[in-house]
Amino acid sequence: MNSLFSQLAVLGSSLTLIFGLMLLWHRSVHAYTTAFAWQSVVLAGIVAVVAYFERDPELYFVAAMLLWLKAWFIPRLLRRMEEPLGAEQELQPYVNTATSLLISGLLVLFAYAVCRPLVALSHLPTRAGMPLALGLIFVSLFVIASRKKALTQVIGFLMLENGIALLAVLGTYGIPLVVEIGVFLDLLLGFMVMQLFVYRIHETFESIDVEQLGRLRH
Amino acid sequence: MIFVLLLLTPLLAAATAALVKPYRAWVGWLCAALSFAPLGAALWLSARVLEGEVLTWGPGEFLRADGLSALLVLCVSFVAALAAWLGPGLAVEDGYDAAERRSYRVFSNLFAFTMLLAVTAHNVGVMWVAVEATTITSAMLIPLHITKASVEASWKYILIGSVGIALAFVGTVLAYFDFVNLAGEQASALNWTSLLHSAPVLHDEVLKLAFVFVLIGYGTKAGLAPMHTWLPDAHSESPSALSAMMSGVLLAVAIYAILRWKIVVDAAVGPAFTNRLLIALGLLSLAIAAFTLIGQRNYKRMLAYSSIEHTGLTCLGLALGPLGIFAAMLHLVNHTVTKSMMFLLAGRVQQRYRSTEIAEVPGLVRTMPVTAGFFAAGMFAIAGLPPFGLFISEFALVRAGFAAGRGWLMGVVLVLLVVAFIALVTHLNRMLYGDPPAPIPVGERQLWALAPAGLCVVILVILGLTLPSPVSRLLNKIVEIAAP
Amino acid sequence: MSGWLVEFFQIVFALALAPGLVGLIRWIKARLQSRLGAPPWQPYRELGKLFHKEAVVSKNASWIFRFAPYAVSASTLAIAFLVPVLVVPRRLDMVGDLFVVVYLLLLGTFWLALAGLDPGSAFGGMGSSREVTVAALAEPTTATAIFSLALGAGSTNLGAIVVAALNDPWTVLTPGHLLAFAALFIVAIAETGRLPVDNPSTHLELTMIHEAMILEYSGRYLALLEWASWLKLFVFLSLLANLFFPWGIATTLTPGALSWAIVTLLVKLALLAVVIAVMETRVAKLRLFRVPELLTASFVLALLAITSSFLLR
Repeated sequence: MNSLFSQLAVLGSSLTLIFGLMLLWHRSVHAYTTAFAWQSVVLAGIVAVVAYFERDPELYFVAAMLLWLKAWFIPRLLRRMEEPLGAEQELQPYVNTATSLLISGLLVLFAYAVCRPLVALSHLPTRAGMPLALGLIFVSLFVIASRKKALTQVIGFLMLENGIALLAVLGTYGIPLVVEIGVFLDLLLGFMVMQLFVYRIHETFESIDVEQLGRLRH
Repeated sequence: MIFVLLLLTPLLAAATAALVKPYRAWVGWLCAALSFAPLGAALWLSARVLEGEVLTWGPGEFLRADGLSALLVLCVSFVAALAAWLGPGLAVEDGYDAAERRSYRVFSNLFAFTMLLAVTAHNVGVMWVAVEATTITSAMLIPLHITKASVEASWKYILIGSVGIALAFVGTVLAYFDFVNLAGEQASALNWTSLLHSAPVLHDEVLKLAFVFVLIGYGTKAGLAPMHTWLPDAHSESPSALSAMMSGVLLAVAIYAILRWKIVVDAAVGPAFTNRLLIALGLLSLAIAAFTLIGQRNYKRMLAYSSIEHTGLTCLGLALGPLGIFAAMLHLVNHTVTKSMMFLLAGRVQQRYRSTEIAEVPGLVRTMPVTAGFFAAGMFAIAGLPPFGLFISEFALVRAGFAAGRGWLMGVVLVLLVVAFIALVTHLNRMLYGDPPAPIPVGERQLWALAPAGLCVVILVILGLTLPSPVSRLLNKIVEIAAP
Repeated sequence: MSGWLVEFFQIVFALALAPGLVGLIRWIKARLQSRLGAPPWQPYRELGKLFHKEAVVSKNASWIFRFAPYAVSASTLAIAFLVPVLVVPRRLDMVGDLFVVVYLLLLGTFWLALAGLDPGSAFGGMGSSREVTVAALAEPTTATAIFSLALGAGSTNLGAIVVAALNDPWTVLTPGHLLAFAALFIVAIAETGRLPVDNPSTHLELTMIHEAMILEYSGRYLALLEWASWLKLFVFLSLLANLFFPWGIATTLTPGALSWAIVTLLVKLALLAVVIAVMETRVAKLRLFRVPELLTASFVLALLAITSSFLLR
């Protein structure tokens, strides 16, 4: 359990979770994009570490795809959105910063509780990072629910996908390649549609504040 | 060959529409004609399945169609054909410009392709990818007319839908995790037949946790409460042909996914766990929908809430044992046929009256008598009156509930159904009778467009009066798969 | 016998070096800001000057005002007794562990806050309320962060924690340790009143916390309070250094080991001083309503540290 492999895996998972917490701590979209890019770099690093220790060349390919898509391509698109839309900061989210951080701490504890049977069952040296991955998933869900700017919600969704990818890598050393490629395509297309919609929201409502989207009731 | 016909023709139609710039009317006719190919393939597939075959295709049995897949393929291709014939781009004045029509043709065909792939995929991972793709393709079409309301609806849809689907993926990963733990990594590990085969050995707690995530995830796409908040907005703001596809079959595809996972989890931990969850969510959806129907002011939202009600009923049926599954699948078919027809008719009404408020569309009997007739028939159907099919399936469901020993639950269900019935009939009354506003032209136009609606009503009556033998044999096959 | 001698020597060492540490930080900051700056031994001169001056006490002050400097110095000195500086394990380890240290910190803060309120000046009261806000959030984090290390070591005794870290060097890389280090670093900044929480060289009403509470003091009282706050900084930094990077600390009482311990401690403290000085030059002071956010974040980090340590036990 205390081998270098498991230490690195858990270290990487903790780093990804902390980058996820940045979404609750900072206020500007620029900081969020940076946190997401670095989180994806760490995630690709973890996949590469697993590939090295398990001698699985497919995972190197997956790590490269992750790096290209999530650490370079998507952040580039996000940075381009910062120009017209990024001036708006998350100044008054539905839940304030200190409370959000406390709630996320509780969510991570909850993730540990939920993951106990999984960690007990697994034999893999990377199993200790699984609760952290699930914690990242819960924290991202909380971000999507409690933030008011559409762009923050999009970045929260991207971090949710990162958390799921991390869970898959730590628990099963990656999913079959066919499904992996499908997931990447889905993610890319989904993100582009969301990006298109954020631009549309901006055009139609003159802001990306989700509170404005309250016309349709009952 | 069947699969090629089934899956490639929608792709071909989408590619044609994408490549022909600017949009020409013949593209619309071509897409509509091509939509018969998947329908024919679906009928052929069902015939072969009824003879006892399980069709597969591709390396490692990439696509696999058994009875359950056959039923859903039939539903999807039927509604896709309806939407292709009655969607924007064929007829004359429907208020959409060339770019919007082209967009519709491309994305609705892609939408049909992804739904067909989802119900024929053997690998639960590929099924997930296809369901996520349905979210993306349908989301592109909701704001076909860009208004504040449609932008809001599309944003909620894609955000809630994608988040829900991501949670379903967590469930998939957890089940794969357990399988890999026991059997090591294999490419075929995510095939649901392998999962089913090794289900008795998989660990209870992990599969239960996985099912919770899967239910929440695919339940979001199916419109189960409390994840249903996107549904009324999305279904009411999108063009009516898309609403027909979404309400009619997308919900059915999501329920298909839940049922596939239920089969696997039941083989491992027994049906009690999944039944309890399905009953809880189904009942909640039914209750929320029934009570919200009372105060509805928008007839498209009314139809959307009725979809939530029927999804809840279907999930309840799935939890009531083999008889319940039979009733639920019959209900699924009936609801698909009815709801698609209703949304297409609602589209006609909206075109004429230029409003979606119930208070602003009185006097349907006078302005559009034939449409009003079919609309009334459809409303009676979704309210659960005989001689339409939904009455039979609801009756069968309640009977299954009593047989499974859940008498009190069925009592509550009956009360909620009565509440919904009263609400729906009241709204129908207000729409049918009264004086139409002065500037609305009177008289039916484009009667040929009502032929598919007539066909739907005929199907409903047949299913309501008798249960044709092929249908009942197919449903029995499904019960064998789902509750062995 | 020699054990007690070494204990006594540690205290004298800490007392003697604390002003030098602060002087070093100020000197590095000055050089980074392209100033010549006072030499690193300037704080000693300040102490000398203050002890010679007369202590002026306000007519409105009560006995608390005169007693508080002694209480604060005593509590900080007691903390210095309990923290591993040069040698582990220690004779005094049986007297107090992690929780006693946390209580003593709070005792000092309590008396300082009272002293700020006592003369009835506006600045003092304001400083006291700000200080208590910071302390309320920082103390639980201190306890939680060090407790996560204690979980790994199996004892809340600070000396035992250091010995456990010496025995198993790889534990430094565990996420529990790294998260605890991050949390404890932020808390050290908050408790000792450095930027970005509090500016130790400002007397502007808008920005001072610690300085506001000691504004009324002069002469020997001020000398005692300043020395106590510098000693607190020394203690926190050596705690950070020895808990997380314990190599070099003496485990036997031979002169060789002790001198090596002194040298390594000086090097570690110098490095930490450089880090703090660079950080203070780069970072602007946080607005007061954002300080709770920073401290809550460090509390969450400490919580994560505990859960990581708990699961990896």
